[in-house]
Amino acid sequence: MKEKLIPIGIVGYFLVMIALIGVLGWYWQNFQKTPQQPIEFPHNVHVGKLKLDCQFCHQFASKSRFATVPTVKLCVDCHKTAATDRPEVKKLMKYWEDQIPIEWLKVYSFRKNANVNFSHKPHIRAGVDCSTCHGRVDQMITARKTRNINMGFCVSCHRQAKAPTDCWTCHK
Amino acid sequence: MKRRDFLKVVGVASSATLLSSCGVEKSTEKLIPFLVPPDEDYIPGQATYYGSTCTECPANCGVSVKVVDFNPIKLEGLADHPVNRGALCLRGQSSILRLYHPDRVKQPLKRGPDGQFQPVSWEEALQQVVQALKDASGAGRSNVYLSGRTTGSLSRLLDDFAKETRVERLPEYEPFSHVNLREAYRLVFGRKEIPFFRIEEADFLLTVGVDLLETFVSPVSYAHQLGRAKARDDFHWVHFEPHASLTGFQADQRFVVRPGSEAYLMGFLLHYILTNGLNKKRIPPEITNALPKVDVNLVAEKTGLDAEVLNRLAARLAEARTPLVLSGGVSVHQKNGLETAVLTALLQWALGATDRVVDFSRAENYASVGSVKDVQKLVERLSRGEIGVLLVSRANPVGTLPASVALAEAMAKAGFRVALTDFVDETARQCDLILPLSHSLESWGDAEPRKGLLNLIQPTVEPIFNTLSEGDILLAIADGYRGRPNVLSYQQWLLREWNRAYGEAFVEEFLKKGFFEFPAKPLPLGLNRPALTAFLKAARLDAPPQGHWLYAMPSLRMFDGRSKVLKLTSEIPDPLTTISYGEWITVSDETAERLGVQDRDEVAFLREGTRLALPVKVQPGLNGEVSTIHWDQLDRAFLEMDPRSGELLAVVAEGQLQKTGKKIAVPILSGSMEEAYERGIFPDHNGHGMKHHAEVRETLYPPHEHPEYRWAMTIDLEKCIGCSACVAACYVENNVAIVGEQEHLKGREMAWIRIEPFYGKDRDREMNFMVMLCQQCCNAPCETVCPVYATMHNPEGLNAMVYNRCVGTRYCHNNCPYKVRRFNWFDHHWETPLDRMLNPDVFVRHKGVMEKCTFCVQRIRVARDHAKDENRKIRDGEVIPACAQTCPTEAIVFGNLLDETARVTQLAHSDRSYRVFEEIGTEPAVYYLRKKEIKDEA
Repeated sequence: MKEKLIPIGIVGYFLVMIALIGVLGWYWQNFQKTPQQPIEFPHNVHVGKLKLDCQFCHQFASKSRFATVPTVKLCVDCHKTAATDRPEVKKLMKYWEDQIPIEWLKVYSFRKNANVNFSHKPHIRAGVDCSTCHGRVDQMITARKTRNINMGFCVSCHRQAKAPTDCWTCHK
Repeated sequence: MKRRDFLKVVGVASSATLLSSCGVEKSTEKLIPFLVPPDEDYIPGQATYYGSTCTECPANCGVSVKVVDFNPIKLEGLADHPVNRGALCLRGQSSILRLYHPDRVKQPLKRGPDGQFQPVSWEEALQQVVQALKDASGAGRSNVYLSGRTTGSLSRLLDDFAKETRVERLPEYEPFSHVNLREAYRLVFGRKEIPFFRIEEADFLLTVGVDLLETFVSPVSYAHQLGRAKARDDFHWVHFEPHASLTGFQADQRFVVRPGSEAYLMGFLLHYILTNGLNKKRIPPEITNALPKVDVNLVAEKTGLDAEVLNRLAARLAEARTPLVLSGGVSVHQKNGLETAVLTALLQWALGATDRVVDFSRAENYASVGSVKDVQKLVERLSRGEIGVLLVSRANPVGTLPASVALAEAMAKAGFRVALTDFVDETARQCDLILPLSHSLESWGDAEPRKGLLNLIQPTVEPIFNTLSEGDILLAIADGYRGRPNVLSYQQWLLREWNRAYGEAFVEEFLKKGFFEFPAKPLPLGLNRPALTAFLKAARLDAPPQGHWLYAMPSLRMFDGRSKVLKLTSEIPDPLTTISYGEWITVSDETAERLGVQDRDEVAFLREGTRLALPVKVQPGLNGEVSTIHWDQLDRAFLEMDPRSGELLAVVAEGQLQKTGKKIAVPILSGSMEEAYERGIFPDHNGHGMKHHAEVRETLYPPHEHPEYRWAMTIDLEKCIGCSACVAACYVENNVAIVGEQEHLKGREMAWIRIEPFYGKDRDREMNFMVMLCQQCCNAPCETVCPVYATMHNPEGLNAMVYNRCVGTRYCHNNCPYKVRRFNWFDHHWETPLDRMLNPDVFVRHKGVMEKCTFCVQRIRVARDHAKDENRKIRDGEVIPACAQTCPTEAIVFGNLLDETARVTQLAHSDRSYRVFEEIGTEPAVYYLRKKEIKDEA
């Protein structure tokens, strides 16, 4: 009996391990840990409750390759009067008073040697909804990555939308 | 431990490692927003263009500076600019490297007690200059300011500065001062100027030794005009030279003359026209009588040309409707150069060229430029100890003057020496204080290259190092000297001056356009009889009779040597020899045979104890008695001065050439310059080798479909002058790596486009340039051999290179019949701050991948983006690749072959169109237009 248990134990151990890795891998793909931003900016309040358009803050999404994060001045323009008592807003005003730019952590990026020539502009022009890639930001406090933006994801969407799939569309 | 236990432990440990590596990817990249929006029209990642001026050479072409995210990344010619008409030369394209050069002087430097330069603050440096100026004036010594050519407002500021601080402004120093030409026009017309030559309007152009397309006064302007003239059918160009120059080989007819005989040639043409009464303008008898009597037999003997040909040429010149005769460059940089220049000027008058094509109303602005004679006077004053403070700005006289003018030694006798410069050159090394100058892309200013043309210089970037513009330095010194607080910046001073001189409306337009052209005032021209008669009576046409000649040619790549600091100018090969790095001397076929030398064998040129040993390159089309080197390679011991005008003489006569027996490694990038004619790279004039003659090999692959666009290019070989501006533009646009001499010696240069010279059977006259870049073949041989599909045909007819897929087998390079693919043997680094000039739209290729021309796909992308914004297709002419954009002769045309009205389609279907190696069935997208047939050879 004991002799049988050892191989079963070993096989069982590895099966559990493999299952665990699989589950974690899936989890990791879909739910990345929320980055620790210098200010806890609540997207759910701005997008979900106040119904601000994404491009109200990410001003260049329709004009440029980069969506860009808003200038500190844009934040301050509203928060001079709005919600001034909140601790996070106080942090923001401290940045403004000291005239120090805020070092946000990037949530989405491509590997440098992936040689990707992504531009927000044509996607907005084609009417792609922001949530297609960025998820339901209106339900998140701090924005986090909900989907791995890899070539498979890009190409499947391009195929569905009959967008070009020539290599030089996305690669420099 | 038992084997089993070991395996167990390994199993558990490895699974634990796997699990832990499944952790969270932590973002370290940061997004840092601006505090306040920088500019209303700023869009991140998008290019903005600013009009400014190229200051790499005195031609001062207008440039449009491409700025992306606050970094200037490329210079392009400013469209419609009166000088360069949207084009820019090799040096202009490379000039952006000067801005970001890691070796620039980064802060003011002062010579310490140990003789080494040490950093000082600007306050201290300027204070020291002020104190030195005061001390010297107090001691009764004079202070002087010697600069390179200065025009426009800076020249006026210098005058003010000189008055305020009692500094004497000396005649300016330029190695290419063109003083023989200016002196000639003074003698003939009483105007010490270089007129503007309207080559475009001439129908018969006769040039003698002048390097119109390389460095002559305003080379881009002349190249552009030549391109336009060559497009006409009634234009004919004859060139005479004893050496072999880029310009010479572009002429319809090129004649190799004996060295030093140019003056006789001009004398003969004048004599022929006057004796036959063919002159369109009167020349008084006193001058006619003083002219040298050069008949056809004499000139035939002196030049070594056929008497009949000379007679025919002279007759044709006289018959022409708008003839233009030009001399310059090496033909006036010799002992009888002034005579050649004077006779040319008189010939221009006699032919009526001065009425139309020789335009003094737009004369080049060389008014404040002196000559070597002026520097010699300075040396005498220095030696006598009369000079207190010597300020030298934007000039390197110590490094470029003849060795006989001992400026460096004399400078030691000045009280205090200040250099205003961007690099520590030979002159700066003799100084006590170095004030670093900002690049023109970092400063405000203007320039006046020609009469009635004002160019804007505006900053496009914050100073990269702790530098100041010359204007700011002068204002600060003047204020310090007068004990005033320095309130006015040069920018404010300029705006005040512009507003005062031209009004506010002008300033607004000027800042928007980047230049302003004032209407020209016609100038009455007459002969300067007494001076001319006196000169002609004393003129001596004779040249030294024997020995070997050494011609120092002004360099297309380095100018007078000033552009040598830019690494790109060395990386791009000299178009005539395809040598990139290092120095060399050319010899003719017959001299090579006589000495028993081949390419890379060292020979020594000797004259009166001075010796110059360099490796050989055999150059077709040279006179046997002549060797050439580039100006920056000439030992200054050989340089002389014409005592009459002060011109630098760089044609060295009566020398000897000897073989030394050594062999020196020289990167000659072209394998062969002769086989092109048998291999079908060029069709002959009968159209042999053209498409309707060639039998095209069948392909096994299905044809490609091009639904919307089929990008194609035409290159007009009649217009291509081999100036290599396209090569430089490509390097800068596409982040092509500069790999250096050692890699070039292994044949590993990275250029995506190259200029290949091919010499024909008649090596004196026949020479063609082939512009070779990726042909974007329809049936590309590179695609079929790639094991990983890293290169493939895209739906727009481009041969797309996918760097992500490339594994570096190099099969594609092996199978490319055009040899245009380049392999990255290393990761290439752009030394800070050079990395700031990288084009963000183009990937920086890493080690182990292939690369090649993309037809500037990033520019196609930008155009497509604009078109889609407006919901239309890309228009013809909307996409212009970097090479086509900068081409001074407009030889390159790019567009969509599926658009029947596109210029490229029309040219691709013209009679002269053919494709290289068409018979192998690659279906290239690059169409070449063969050279025109010369119907009416004189």
